[in-house]
Amino acid sequence: MIGKLVEAEFLKIKRKGFWFLTFLGPFGVIALQMVNYGVRKEYLLRQSDDDWGYFLLNVSSFTPLALVLGIVILTSFMTSIENETNAWKQLVALPVSKWSVYLSKFTVLAGLLLLSTVLLTIFTILYGTVLNLGHDIPYLEIIKYSFYPYLAALPVLALQLWIATVSHNQSIPITAGVLGVIFTYSAHILPDWMIWKWPSLMNDWNEPVINVFLGIGVGCLLYIIGMFDFIRRDVK
Amino acid sequence: MLSVLQSEWYKLRKSKITFILFVGPFVGLLIGLLFNLTIEGEINQWYILVLSMNLTYALLFLPLITGVLASTICRYEHQAGGWKQLLAMPVARGKIFLAKYVLLMLLVFVIQLLYLVSIYGVGMIKGYTDPFPIEIIWRGIIGGWVATFPLVALQLWMSILFKSFAAPLTVNVIFTLPAILAINSERFGPFYPWAQPFSMMYVGGNTDDLFFIPWEQLITVVGGSFVLFFLGGYFYFQRKAV
Repeated sequence: MIGKLVEAEFLKIKRKGFWFLTFLGPFGVIALQMVNYGVRKEYLLRQSDDDWGYFLLNVSSFTPLALVLGIVILTSFMTSIENETNAWKQLVALPVSKWSVYLSKFTVLAGLLLLSTVLLTIFTILYGTVLNLGHDIPYLEIIKYSFYPYLAALPVLALQLWIATVSHNQSIPITAGVLGVIFTYSAHILPDWMIWKWPSLMNDWNEPVINVFLGIGVGCLLYIIGMFDFIRRDVK
Repeated sequence: MLSVLQSEWYKLRKSKITFILFVGPFVGLLIGLLFNLTIEGEINQWYILVLSMNLTYALLFLPLITGVLASTICRYEHQAGGWKQLLAMPVARGKIFLAKYVLLMLLVFVIQLLYLVSIYGVGMIKGYTDPFPIEIIWRGIIGGWVATFPLVALQLWMSILFKSFAAPLTVNVIFTLPAILAINSERFGPFYPWAQPFSMMYVGGNTDDLFFIPWEQLITVVGGSFVLFFLGGYFYFQRKAV
């Protein structure tokens, strides 16, 4: 049943710009570096001996921001399909359980973001090669810097999907999202327990993988809370 | 005109608008309290506080929240044929557009005032003893407000154009994020409209003029983009099919 529902969700997002946004996120992150390196390449290469490492550092300073913004935009788009036309009623009136509706939406969003992450990895390698940063491409590091933030951002995804599905007024999830973006941007001054800090992979132990495990764990928890709240609520 | 403005306000009043307005000072308070940068020396403590708070507030938050406000102000009409009902009444479309814009600018001004309060609040909590540089900070508050004029105009245009909240936000984000890079560039920073709120609230900047950026920059960049976006939105709305 889930397979069919996911298929239906993919049909619904056709021609609404979802695929374009999925591409735009990672492309935007690299495009900002194209501008950065385009304007002052000499200066940036002089900053460090490890050109690939420094390039990755520059890229990864925008990754969490783009990721959280992407989550906010995609979740709001996703629920606005039903919100704008009051189709929630019709959707849950079908002989499908509410939890599978919620799960299919989450699956599609997580899938789109995963695609963004894969694209980010590819774009990073491509542009790094174009910049001629050297022959020893640190594949493992590049994959780490693309996939770790994605996994660490799962709680934000679960939270935004929850807020977006249960609020009738979309200004609530969007405002909450903007607040989250601000938190992500100021990650360096936030305490470790805040979920918006995790995509930046910073923590007191200097161990990025902790954020990944926290992300998966708390992400699951927030997903379950959100799902049960969605099931419990009356559909307007 | 006043009655159109009043009806816009009625529609907005119960749209969770206070929640959105108070997010601004909350962000200010939070960043101000979490930020612990102490520079020893003769610099007024308030300057350091305001500079560090503005880095997040004026660069990202202010441009983004204006977009949310613009979408909220058009939400009522996008629902269930609201545009049809509104435009069937004997009011000119231009007046409706202008009323929405004026109300938005008033709301942004309220956010700026609340932000001013939060700056003062943070300073009080931290127990600052230096004199509060009221004149300098006022200029920043007003300057930041003026710099959002073109941004709000574009967002209103986008919000009338798109039904969903996410689409105008996407446009907003695409233009706002590069400002992070633009402010670091002496060549491009002054010409990028989305970097202007930060430049105009940068209290360490040029202090000879009324605002913290030169008059030519204010008139050409802020004024120019305002005229462009405002007229674009205005004429789009005139011809919009409802």
